[in-house]
Amino acid sequence: MSGVTQAPEALLKRLERDVARAVRRGRNGLRYAAGTQRTRVGQTPKDVVWRRDKAELWRYRNDAIRYAPPVVVVHSLVSRSYVLDLHPANSAIRTLTDAGLDMMLLDWGVADAVDADNGLETYADEYLPAAVDAAREAAGTDDVTLLGYCFGGVLSLLSLARHPELPVRNLIAMATPVDFEGMASMTGLLRSRRLHPEDVLDETGNVPPEAVENAFRLLRPTGEVAQYATLWENLWNDQYMEGYQPMAQWTRDHVPFPGRAFLQTVDLLVRDNALVHGPLRLAGRDADLAAITCPFLNVMAERDHIVPAGAARPLEGLVGSEDAETLCLDAGHVGLVASRTAAKVTLPHIAEWVQRHSDRVEA
Amino acid sequence: MSGRPLWRRGFDALERPVGDVIAGAVQSQPFADGVALGLHLERLVRREVERGTRRWLHAVNLPTATDVRRLSQQVAELQRQVRALSHELDALETAPPPRRRSARSAS
Repeated sequence: MSGVTQAPEALLKRLERDVARAVRRGRNGLRYAAGTQRTRVGQTPKDVVWRRDKAELWRYRNDAIRYAPPVVVVHSLVSRSYVLDLHPANSAIRTLTDAGLDMMLLDWGVADAVDADNGLETYADEYLPAAVDAAREAAGTDDVTLLGYCFGGVLSLLSLARHPELPVRNLIAMATPVDFEGMASMTGLLRSRRLHPEDVLDETGNVPPEAVENAFRLLRPTGEVAQYATLWENLWNDQYMEGYQPMAQWTRDHVPFPGRAFLQTVDLLVRDNALVHGPLRLAGRDADLAAITCPFLNVMAERDHIVPAGAARPLEGLVGSEDAETLCLDAGHVGLVASRTAAKVTLPHIAEWVQRHSDRVEA
Repeated sequence: MSGRPLWRRGFDALERPVGDVIAGAVQSQPFADGVALGLHLERLVRREVERGTRRWLHAVNLPTATDVRRLSQQVAELQRQVRALSHELDALETAPPPRRRSARSAS
């Protein structure tokens, strides 16, 4: 009897809910299509503490620094660094800052024709050591903790392998590829020499952002359609849209990859797999990962389709650190730094590891 | 039971196998050859178009894309030289001043 009387009520409630969602879906859809309600990215307050050419070192304001030395995040060369500070509710930087860490970020800017001549050694020998010095000076410490994300991890490894004397107390590599044989789906065409890296460069001498985006798109050809399906499913949800917009913006917002660094990457890392088979000879100098002896944390994602876990896993065995640890999480490439998993698992684990390997200071 | 709507479950059921097939196809030799051929043809067409229009553009005193590219490459090279010089200057400014030999040691 009660089932019969409740059925129309439940139906009415469901109808009400569906109508309300349809209205919100229409409103959010229009806003999204018109781009009128874009979420501001990179909102955590910061200061530029060092600048050289297009590279900048940002220090995030934090009145409650409880640990030293500062953590210098080294970002990738092909994407925008705001993925680490997408939205106040989804910000790796904010989470780590709240953990009492002195956070800095090394942003490479947007490469143009002037930067086409930048090689891997430009970043590993010039920019990175200078940024480390600037970070120490800004924080008043003797050393720093380096945290390299994606290709930023490769640059950090190269820098430290070529300059073991750099004042780096700890090193963290996040979603960092070392075994490029494990990245066949991303690099297969170049590795098999069916595609010449020179053919990918544009008139500025760099790899255009569209090529980078297309390469990522090829990894999951139906990914974009699935993304739109998820968007349609959640378009009524204001909270979802607030988080979706900055992320969607970031996935289509790549930067040019400096040409010479790209050619070296293909030649040395992709084709010779020199980080694994090393030593990697660059600009007349060897880089041997075994020369890295500081405490080391390797963070990778089990469901990473860009840098598969197999491409990142060998790292712990390649560095010379006695205190080396690997953390493999059930997340995707971006999910490592910008997701619920990141906020609940990845970042607290990293914060705890850094705290354990740092000095406690008075706030 | 999943809370996802029926259309989404249907989409997911279809997307995965289709995605796997396409992902397999883009890793294949014919796809690689197609990409290489596409890039080659694009360059060839661009070169031919430039060659064909160069005479007419120069005749009316207009630069071609090649002229503009050459100029921007020269500007970039100049900027690189300026950058290198300013780095050298920075290094000189931060380097400790050379020690003067004292009068006693000089004598």
